[in-house]
Amino acid sequence: MPIPELEKPIVKGLIQKDKVIVDGVELDGTWNAFMIERTQTGYDPTVWDEIANTLEGVTISACWQCGTCTSGCTMREYDPNYSPRGFIDLARKGDKQALIELQNSLWRCVSCQKCTHRCPKGVLVEEVVHSIHHYLLKHGLVKKDPGTVFDELFLETVIKNGGRISELTLGAAAAKAGMVTLSLKDLINIGAAILKGGLIKDVLRPNRVKNWDRVQKVLEEAMKEEVVPE
Amino acid sequence: MTLPTPYGKVAFYPGCALDGLGKSYDVSLKLVVQDLGIPLEKIEDYNCCGALEVKNVNTMAGILLPARNLALAREMGADAVVSACPGCHYSLSRTQYYLTKYPKLREKTNVYLEKMGTKNYDLKLMLVHAVEYIYNTVGIEAIKTKVKRPLTGLKVAPYYGCLYVRPKSYTLAGYMKMRDDPERPFFMDEILKALGAEVVPFEAKTMCCGGPHVYSDVEVALHLEARILKEAKRNGAEILVTDCPLGHVAIETNMEKIAQKYGEDLRTPLAYFSQLVAFAFGHSPEETLLTANITNPMSVLKRYL
Repeated sequence: MPIPELEKPIVKGLIQKDKVIVDGVELDGTWNAFMIERTQTGYDPTVWDEIANTLEGVTISACWQCGTCTSGCTMREYDPNYSPRGFIDLARKGDKQALIELQNSLWRCVSCQKCTHRCPKGVLVEEVVHSIHHYLLKHGLVKKDPGTVFDELFLETVIKNGGRISELTLGAAAAKAGMVTLSLKDLINIGAAILKGGLIKDVLRPNRVKNWDRVQKVLEEAMKEEVVPE
Repeated sequence: MTLPTPYGKVAFYPGCALDGLGKSYDVSLKLVVQDLGIPLEKIEDYNCCGALEVKNVNTMAGILLPARNLALAREMGADAVVSACPGCHYSLSRTQYYLTKYPKLREKTNVYLEKMGTKNYDLKLMLVHAVEYIYNTVGIEAIKTKVKRPLTGLKVAPYYGCLYVRPKSYTLAGYMKMRDDPERPFFMDEILKALGAEVVPFEAKTMCCGGPHVYSDVEVALHLEARILKEAKRNGAEILVTDCPLGHVAIETNMEKIAQKYGEDLRTPLAYFSQLVAFAFGHSPEETLLTANITNPMSVLKRYL
């Protein structure tokens, strides 16, 4: 369990003071020994409060720390630092420092939903982890990761593209953002599939929602809204 | 003449994937329901459900995009929404879950839906995946009677993807008789067996393909996909059958990279389950768009022509 760096570590034991005066009387011997303060500080309780007050993060309080989520986690097999149980633990303690140190792992959830599915307490683990990640991003504590960049690109493509996307429009947008690397052979294969499947029409003129302008306006208004779980 | 469904009136939500590279899924699914005589009426003017990405960017957008589709389905008078893509099935179910649980969110959503020009959403929809829909509506015996081109001896590995039954809190898998088994789904196995195909033991049925991170975390995605293919190969599958356009497209487009990185013998052709069903029902490879799949499943299927 890492202890926040900015704070002094816990030192156990006693300190002996050379000179102690109480009510004008100088004390001596064992009276000069004091116990060191042992309250651990540096944890920020507002982290839990804020996450538990989001729609996705509200179930964080139900967690039992049994570890069922982490033991079956798909990502855990590839990234030993990835631990939904651990993230929830740290977020509840409010150990921002430790969460920041885990920033290269935190974003890597592949949304396979095993954790949420198997949680015996009904914690929406996948959503809670995203909520913790979102908290750190919102407060500027971690830098933007490729996963978030792609998620934002996805939403942007949906809005720009008239409410609908395809792998093709999304792929084109991702390529523009420098995210896709396809070999020549891949391109030939995909190109052939597009031609044979008659998708060429859709590439040239992608489908749009008919009254998208109106929907888009409302959507953009709604996106400014703060949502609380009630 | 179309058969009534146990779900009442059904609206079909194709989702964006079926308009894009998943077109062969769309086309073949239409052929299958036509042959089986069950209805599949598309929701007009639907929008993207936000898949797995939008909800991570903005909470309200993640709720509102699927909610609009649900409201449109209710406007059609539907009692159930059938989605072919497990990602869409998941996002619609997720919205349904949140709207049911949080009345104030529901009120807010309804205000926005009205501004968008659709009706209020009254939560009276059942959300169904296309595999469950076919399995529960016509049953295995009806599928058997329609088979004109039995796929005897074809070794298939059915790949359901993660979101077909997960999480149970959203999809309600395992809570109802009409839902598939949440840990070991078998509806697609049964459908494929009805075509005469041999379903190989395949434990990677619901293993994740890393779909949402194919662009941002490509190494992990390739590794996960290679594991699915290895598992299929190990059990002697000739073809990987999918019901998830995200997994299908991710594995198909990455096949060359996987083969280069993890061994040439991992190359396996992929087909949507509906393509195989339509093919077995006697439709030509061109009609079912089996010829358009990137991994060329006809190399295996041509012996049944």
